[in-house]
Amino acid sequence: MISMRRRMTGFAFWGFCVLAFLFIAAPSISIIESIIRQAAPVLSWSLLTSSKGNGLANAILGSLILLLGVLIVAGIIGVAAGTYLAEYATGRPRRLLRFFSEILAGMPSIVIGYIGYVSLVVGLHWQFSLAAGIIALSVLVLPYIVKTTEVSLMQVPTALREAASGLGMPRWQTLRRILIPTALPGISSGIIVALAISTGELAPLLFTAGPTLNGSASFALTHTNHGIGLPYLTDVVFFNQTQGETAQSPHIAAAAGLVLLVILIILIVLGRIVSQRARRQTARMAL
Amino acid sequence: MKRLLPLALIVPLAVAGCGSSSKTGTGTNSSTTASTGSSATSATTASSGGSANMNTANPTAPVTITEAGSSLLYPYLQTITPGLSTAYSNVKLSSAAGGSGAGISDAINGTTNLGGSDAYLSPSEFSSNSGLLNIPIVVSSQDVDYNLSGVSSLKLSGSVLAQIYQGKITTWNNQAIASLNPGVTLPSEAIVPVRRQDSSGDTFLFTSLLSKTDPTWSSTVSYNTKVNWPSVGAEKDATGNAGMVQVCGATPGCIAYIGISSQSKAEAAGLKAAQLQNASGAFVANTPSNVLAAVQAGSSNIPSNLAQPLIYEPGATAYPIVNFEYIVVKSSQSSSSTAQAIRDFLAYAISPTGGSSTTNLAADQFQALPSSVLGPVQTAIASIQ
Amino acid sequence: MTATVERPQKPTAPPALSARAKSRSELTSADRVIRAFLAVAGVIPTAALVFLAVVMLRQALPAISANGTHFFTSTKFNIGVGASNGGYGTTTVAASYGVLALLFGTLMCSIIALVIAVPVSVAGALLLAEKVPARFQNPLGVFLELLAGIPSVVYGIWGYFTLGPFLSHNIYRWLSDVGIPWLDGRPQATGLLTASIVLAVMIVPIIAATTRELIRSVPTVSKEGAVALGLTSAESVRFVTIPYVRSGVVAASLLGWARALGETIAVLIISGDGAGVPHSIFGNFYTMAAEIAGDLDAALTDPSLMHTLGEIGLVLLVITLITNFAGRLITQRFGGVNLPVGAGL
Repeated sequence: MISMRRRMTGFAFWGFCVLAFLFIAAPSISIIESIIRQAAPVLSWSLLTSSKGNGLANAILGSLILLLGVLIVAGIIGVAAGTYLAEYATGRPRRLLRFFSEILAGMPSIVIGYIGYVSLVVGLHWQFSLAAGIIALSVLVLPYIVKTTEVSLMQVPTALREAASGLGMPRWQTLRRILIPTALPGISSGIIVALAISTGELAPLLFTAGPTLNGSASFALTHTNHGIGLPYLTDVVFFNQTQGETAQSPHIAAAAGLVLLVILIILIVLGRIVSQRARRQTARMAL
Repeated sequence: MKRLLPLALIVPLAVAGCGSSSKTGTGTNSSTTASTGSSATSATTASSGGSANMNTANPTAPVTITEAGSSLLYPYLQTITPGLSTAYSNVKLSSAAGGSGAGISDAINGTTNLGGSDAYLSPSEFSSNSGLLNIPIVVSSQDVDYNLSGVSSLKLSGSVLAQIYQGKITTWNNQAIASLNPGVTLPSEAIVPVRRQDSSGDTFLFTSLLSKTDPTWSSTVSYNTKVNWPSVGAEKDATGNAGMVQVCGATPGCIAYIGISSQSKAEAAGLKAAQLQNASGAFVANTPSNVLAAVQAGSSNIPSNLAQPLIYEPGATAYPIVNFEYIVVKSSQSSSSTAQAIRDFLAYAISPTGGSSTTNLAADQFQALPSSVLGPVQTAIASIQ
Repeated sequence: MTATVERPQKPTAPPALSARAKSRSELTSADRVIRAFLAVAGVIPTAALVFLAVVMLRQALPAISANGTHFFTSTKFNIGVGASNGGYGTTTVAASYGVLALLFGTLMCSIIALVIAVPVSVAGALLLAEKVPARFQNPLGVFLELLAGIPSVVYGIWGYFTLGPFLSHNIYRWLSDVGIPWLDGRPQATGLLTASIVLAVMIVPIIAATTRELIRSVPTVSKEGAVALGLTSAESVRFVTIPYVRSGVVAASLLGWARALGETIAVLIISGDGAGVPHSIFGNFYTMAAEIAGDLDAALTDPSLMHTLGEIGLVLLVITLITNFAGRLITQRFGGVNLPVGAGL
């Protein structure tokens, strides 16, 4: 029989685990609840679609365009780099490139913002602009995409490569027709993580895409007519909450936060669908 | 870079501008480029008492000029933006509040066309940037607000404020404060001083007063848009005047320096303005006539670069924290249409029938520039090319 | 019978190549073009890193020589008074920048956050993976994903308006009354402890998600062995699961640590913008990342401050790099599973 002492230790331990889980669950519930509660008074369809005054339409558009930009820039470069590391690079160059890519992953986002400001906004005279924002975010999330692409490609069974080689397929066709499609779920989930990270960033964007100027918007790539800058949601949240001019402002901030959460949830759901497909696929491919 | 689009296309383009919050005018002048925008221009030259023609005219194509900076000036710019586009249909002003320090550096770096600042440029800013101007457009002032529900009126002096912000006076019922307020029951609550975290013209004004009234403050902290605040223990930080209102409104026992354009919001948040001791020893409130007294005293002999403080001016009724609101701009612009738009805006802002009308000024409790200053200001505006 | 016809000598077979290498050697010209393009992409992360490092160094260099060693020994961060920082007035006090207080703030709140987050993440992940019935695992796992994705600005606002006041009223008062030195200051809603707790909430998902996956990958054989030996579930965790996941948890914790070090916006909102080392765990403090973000607007007209912010960024960068290296060393050292139970199966 299990002694009393051992049983009590077990209870205490699992009790602690339950408490720990509550520490995880309670904040997420609290945050979501307070955002919804704060946003409720001002939430309306016109708030989301209007681009005048407090309307969030421009900010939503700005955030989505930033995501699109990151998808294109970091997505293409990241997948290409990961492919290179997995399929073409060998030995020392491979180790070095991978090593440096991982170091890039740990870069604090404010440092990227600072450098973006110094080199792009001021240095290249781009001023606060979409291009500067996209580049800053892309540098931030690039390592994640590179890593997941590399790992996903390496997990493709060598048997498939051998089969393709046996059929006389040139390398690039193997890549295009077999390897990438097989690794696609893994690659996609890496990209989705990168997009989720980009959605919530503020520090690097404050100094590259700029602080929002009320009411105006410029989606120009660079030289945004002397500092009008790009509107985006995290900025709306920050400035309305800390420097809001009217009683409505904290509510507007919460509404922008809510939109961010919705975008996030969409990305999470996408991520789950993709990883389920990945799991089914790996199960199928038990070669 | 004159754009040669036919005028018929310009107005619809201006109206269709993406996401602008200000109204564009309905095109009061669709005729030649040489026509003046409105009667505002001629009124300005007439009322200034014989001074430079600022060469204002509606630009041939829509121009947007951008401004960033002082959160004290910002509400006023919002107020006059629609009227500006009515007077000059092709001129649109896009403004933002980010603190005077950011405004000055944006103007210097060219990130925006104009910088809004409660602080005039420093000697080194003038010397490092040739052709940089600071042009006053209105007169503003600052309040010291407190959050004590049981105290309906409070008198404070600059040296007491300096002690508070250095942590030498920590409770409201301190002897120094009580001696200024006989008959008032002060609570024993701790004082929570709120400071501006961003690079702020309001900080510049407040610390200017403290420097003039407290020698220790002057030698250890001095005045600037950003200073080394002494650590007090109970202090809080806020960003922007709106942030000051928000933080102080939520903290009983707090004290904060807030620009007058945010005073109505401060009162709505339960804050009250203190009476401050001026250079003549009297305790005065922030009223238009007291501000006027300070302006008259201070603007009789302003320097040629227009950098003139109006802090702690002598005079029985002069209010101690008064300032010119400055627009920082380069005298040499990259395009003549931008220069034109900037001149139009500045001329409009100082015109008593335009930006400086009684209604516009009253909305933010500002005052018009005194007539003694108008001449040099107009010369400065005319020099923007 | 053996043939007597002379056969041509067969060329010696090349050494056996792996399937991958074999397919690599058969590259067409289209392959070469694509490989070149991919190689360019492959170099980009490295190039970006080099660029960042170079810009950072160039920005920081003037400050490094101007601030000297004083930078690392002083807790005072003074931007100078009067004409010395391009300002006004007749007083001139030179700027004196010291990073020690910022270093303390950064390290302290990250350490406290980690101390809170690691046990909570591991315990929570254990609960999710071991005790929760399978059909609830995915839905409950949603909490982790949500926490991971919430923007840091939302965390900052939540910490400032909701969590801080709640903690200050209910918990800090008791804690302060206990009277442990440095844990007994004046409780307030902002400050070091609140910021650390919010940071902990932010990094929990990183550690917990990884731990959960690791726990799931513990071989069932080992767990069955524990049951066979009559261990309680808690003991099974202690003797089987924990040793198995230990190095992975360490690696994930270092990821969380890196995140905490670099967190800017949430700290900016909750820190209380303190100068110097806080007097108590509830006091106002500041971190290197928040300092850069908070003073950047003032630095735009003050070159010495701008370069000093660059130097601060460099210090932050170096600390993050050291963390990265340490992490890799640790995972390499403890790498793999060294479980007595199940080895050999």
